[in-house]
Amino acid sequence: MSEEQKQAPGPAPAANREGREAGHSVGGRREGGPGGGRREGAPGGPGGPGGPRRGKRQYFRKKKVCKFCVEKMDFIDYKRADILAQFVQERGKILPRRMTGVCSRHQRWLGVAIKRARNIALLPFAGSAAGTQAPRPVAEAPKT
Amino acid sequence: MEERLYDLIFIVRPATPEDEIKKVLSSIEHACAEKGAKIEKTEHWGTRKLAYKVMKHREGIYLYQQVRTTHGELVHELERRLGVQDSVIKYQTVRLDEELKRQKKLAHKREQRAARRPRRVAPPPSASAEQNAPAN
Repeated sequence: MSEEQKQAPGPAPAANREGREAGHSVGGRREGGPGGGRREGAPGGPGGPGGPRRGKRQYFRKKKVCKFCVEKMDFIDYKRADILAQFVQERGKILPRRMTGVCSRHQRWLGVAIKRARNIALLPFAGSAAGTQAPRPVAEAPKT
Repeated sequence: MEERLYDLIFIVRPATPEDEIKKVLSSIEHACAEKGAKIEKTEHWGTRKLAYKVMKHREGIYLYQQVRTTHGELVHELERRLGVQDSVIKYQTVRLDEELKRQKKLAHKREQRAARRPRRVAPPPSASAEQNAPAN
């Protein structure tokens, strides 16, 4: 990985970042964390002739805004599974605020709504893989 | 007791015949009428995939109703009736009026703020524009 970055210091981290973003269902993290930032910054120093901002942190986080505040929603309906599904992982875990950018008040309401939706089978419970589970391969039972 | 609004969702087995569903609905209606409650909305969402298996079913027919009542014990009665019905595999009652009240309050607050804002924001730009104009 480090070799690859030395060869092409500019595009490689960018592609890396896009890949990470695509991995998450909602906007998601910009960076892998503090370690990720350092690693991406390092190849820009020695190998980056065209790097405009060398040494400094290359990517700055776009400020995420609360989707519910933007749409001025004062009430999160637990029946709208399509909206709620944006804020849970595939397996049904509620995404943390730091990933989705939801404000604390709306996150609180969102949690309640998601739990209600779970109760009536609109959303999966965390851990239950009902949606992703493949039908179990049937063993050759009729052995006559 | 003041009036309360409840959401009532229940799921019936996917292979339930139409008249069976009607029977369940009429049983709810009957219970509501007894207590003097009002059914405000009835929606038939049709067959939907369940997020997890419920009583070995992967799909279910969702039915949704909104009930306005002054008797809290009606909810208990409704849930009992739904629990007894064989075709109903899951049900949920949610009290809604408090959240709607909160929503109304917040909307009202926002409106007030919006009404106040233009007066506050408007003067500074015009004042600065006047100051800048002679300099240019």
